[in-house]
Amino acid sequence: MTLSHFSAVLLFSLFTSVVFGITQRAQPKMMIRFGAYCFVLFVGAVVIASWVMYAIKH
Amino acid sequence: MAADTQQIAQRIPEEKSSLPAVVLVAGWLIPGLGHLILGKWVRALLLFLSIVGMFLIGIAAQGKIYQPGSGDILDILGFAGQLGLGLLCGLAHWFSWGANSAVNTLADYGTKFIVCAGLLNYIAAVDAHSLANGRKASL
Repeated sequence: MTLSHFSAVLLFSLFTSVVFGITQRAQPKMMIRFGAYCFVLFVGAVVIASWVMYAIKH
Repeated sequence: MAADTQQIAQRIPEEKSSLPAVVLVAGWLIPGLGHLILGKWVRALLLFLSIVGMFLIGIAAQGKIYQPGSGDILDILGFAGQLGLGLLCGLAHWFSWGANSAVNTLADYGTKFIVCAGLLNYIAAVDAHSLANGRKASL
């Protein structure tokens, strides 16, 4: 199995956000909103951390 | 105040039933089964696909399956996390899925996927328990 770092991040964020959305909110609409919020935070944090590491190295 | 008292009074009979304990154990054994028992089949399906999907990716990436009783504190914590997978954890030990050690970066990712899948299943099982005893609104 081949999995790039970024695809691993996307899969991890997707699955974790689905579970967080379902378990941390009561209304279906809020579940979707919170899940999407978690997904964006996960991926966004990784992209920012990646650029910070790039900036430190260069 | 009167409404609060009424809500608590309505909750007491549900807390005495065995349903919350049943959905807690069922949700731990098989991801999403607790929600399925409560009739939340869409949530059950999504939880099952997410948690089992993470577990299968971890296994395919040759993630490490922690063994009980190794003595190392990190191994004990990893095992506690993977124990959250219920039957899947038992199957992984029974059929020797995964690896005994993470040999490369991808396998290390796989190990984290498996442990996190177990931790997420703990959360899902407790959520089903909260729905069953009325602590969480069932909408």
